[in-house]
Amino acid sequence: MKEITISPVTRIEGHAGVRIFLNDRGEVDSAHFQVVELRGFEKFLIGAAIEEAPRITPRICGICPSAHHLAAAKATDQIFGVEPPATGKKLRELLNVGQFVHSHALHFFMLAAPDFILGHDCPAESRNVIGLARQSPEIAKKAIAVRKFGQRLTEAVGGKPIHPANALPGGMSAPLTEGKRAELAVMADEALGIAREGWDLARNLLDGVDTEIGAVRTGFVGMTNQGVYSTYDGSAAMLGPDGGRVGSFSGPEYTNFIEEYSEDWSYLKFARFKGGDYYRVGPLARLNIVEKMGTEHADAALAEYRERFGTGTQAALAYHLARYIEFIASCERAVQLLSDPGITAPDIRTPVGAVVNRRGVGIVEAPRGTLIHDYTVNEAGIIERCNLIVATCQNNYAMDRGVEDMARRVVENGALTEAAANRIEMIIRAYDPCISCATHAIGKMPLKIECVRRT
Amino acid sequence: MKIAIEELAGCSGCTIAVLDLHEMLLDVVAEAEIVYSPVIMDVKEPPEGIDIAFVTGAVRNEENRERLEKIRKRAKTLVALGTCACYGGISGLSMLNSNVDLFSCVYREVETVKPDGVIPTDVPPFLYRAFAVGDLVKVDYYVTGCPPKEAFLKKIIPAMVAGDTLELSRKSVCSECDRIMGPVENWTLKRRHEGVPDREHCLLGQGYLCLGSVTFGRCAATCPKNNIPCHGCNGPSLDILREPCRDIHGMMVRRISDLTDKPQKEVEKEFYDVAHTMYAFTIGSLIMEDKETSKIRDLVKERSK
Repeated sequence: MKEITISPVTRIEGHAGVRIFLNDRGEVDSAHFQVVELRGFEKFLIGAAIEEAPRITPRICGICPSAHHLAAAKATDQIFGVEPPATGKKLRELLNVGQFVHSHALHFFMLAAPDFILGHDCPAESRNVIGLARQSPEIAKKAIAVRKFGQRLTEAVGGKPIHPANALPGGMSAPLTEGKRAELAVMADEALGIAREGWDLARNLLDGVDTEIGAVRTGFVGMTNQGVYSTYDGSAAMLGPDGGRVGSFSGPEYTNFIEEYSEDWSYLKFARFKGGDYYRVGPLARLNIVEKMGTEHADAALAEYRERFGTGTQAALAYHLARYIEFIASCERAVQLLSDPGITAPDIRTPVGAVVNRRGVGIVEAPRGTLIHDYTVNEAGIIERCNLIVATCQNNYAMDRGVEDMARRVVENGALTEAAANRIEMIIRAYDPCISCATHAIGKMPLKIECVRRT
Repeated sequence: MKIAIEELAGCSGCTIAVLDLHEMLLDVVAEAEIVYSPVIMDVKEPPEGIDIAFVTGAVRNEENRERLEKIRKRAKTLVALGTCACYGGISGLSMLNSNVDLFSCVYREVETVKPDGVIPTDVPPFLYRAFAVGDLVKVDYYVTGCPPKEAFLKKIIPAMVAGDTLELSRKSVCSECDRIMGPVENWTLKRRHEGVPDREHCLLGQGYLCLGSVTFGRCAATCPKNNIPCHGCNGPSLDILREPCRDIHGMMVRRISDLTDKPQKEVEKEFYDVAHTMYAFTIGSLIMEDKETSKIRDLVKERSK
């Protein structure tokens, strides 16, 4: 038995590996995407007071903590039977917008772009944001500026840029001050400018790149507010692999449509439709589902995107462009919300009393895809059951199959060069997997690639 | 100056906190070379000759432990970065259950999986408990915070890169809080969703379990300033760390009793969900578990039955 190991898979959030099994002729027999950690939130939240869920679950992920914070907060609203007041809701949406700006900027410019801008065969030591800063300092500076805006926005609305704490049952704990709003509005305009300028770079990123690689055919799940792009409010729509609408869900009924299973070789579970079809979530899914983005520049970009990829693309690498269009949309939405006079109003929280419903299901779009937090509590509001479905688990099958497709293309004579290994990692990176989230069930992830020759 | 960032069981938030140096990041990489950081670059193994290694996350499985031992050997200075590395962090809560129950819940008992689901075995095995980094290897510096805050990292990272030392605040969260005590009457412990706290007065005095007095500062008391009681994410205050008989739970009882004139036994009865409200960030730390008056041992024993 021969083993080639590349460890860990890098420029993704967390630890993961790839295992490639070779036959005796040195050809790829099979390949898998493997996650090597787990933390166990679904179990250790049992016994916690429900109002603590919004401040414990952000620790599932330091990259998309706001999404966990908000999914948990939405679930607590249902449990206490309240709706946040208008400003409270707007602030929560703004918090998610801050999350998207930071996370998408991080992924596009700092984690994924080095493969395209510096080239996937550029030496490993400099194929990263630091190398990018040397070769294209202007791009690096802009990437830093937009990420900073995202984090400042999250901090102003959520209290902290990482692991925000301000959302609680019934709304938010602190208003947005006029001073902060004005400061952020200036930054939002600047960020939108950078996002718009960057579209030229983004739309040409895949020129000359074979977008068939990592091929997989799946259905899609993503939130939409009556056809319009939305990340906080609306219901999750489901498309089948043929692009046809399968239905939608917005609460506990998700369990009628989604099932999860596990494999012996990964801590990360797999999600699929109950009928057996696989689906994907995240930017590609959301853009396949919505009719429009609902903001000017993102809609113009969407039109260009659809000219190239059609209305229901399966191409994994199109995730990068879809992500960029969402990045533009997030900057535009930030500008809109920050110019809304209601955003600084003091009515941010509806007081709550006793437990009204024993179950609450909070669903939001995280940067990587649909996020579901499902809690059942006793009469005193102590958690009795908990189920968390994160984006990376829903994209697990597609990454796993994409890895195998790519491995078949790049493994030559039973060997994997460093550049070829990076090509496999590029497929995984397209999904922007978050292993921290993925392993909420118990752990965390860098990516490692291992070739095993079967004898 | 060669710098590395290693991630163990955690959320990547501490690496994001380093990126949150924003523009200063460019100054740092002009002075120091980042030679290994899997989240942002492709080098797969920590090289030899690292000057400063920042280790984030807790140690929960065999792979975490191997990585920790490797980077310790290859680094001159090892910094436990963030509350997981310093005290086990939120991953430590997994000790409230046996590994068998944890796996069984995740893969067989949540609503979307089947009762005969596969429990992975071809993966790095779990250790019998969670550990903080300092429980297993020698740590040169502890930088607490879940994650450490931007203003704090902006002070210490350039100084470390330059090889300087600097004097830092050793005070608790309360020292950075702008609330005033005000009258404390008919005190009863409130759940965090009950009522709406007023913005002027001490949250603990208003009946909310705010851990500011037992928590290390350097976070600018951000949560209390946003009307959210302190959850203790920066880890224990210096007096608790120093004194073997002082512990988070015991000090909270004493503090509330002093504040309210209620006997300590009465105060203790009002507490609920002590594991998640008081030890959420420290339960996976041997240092905290070994405190004479710590409740951690009891909590772990009681819940993992």
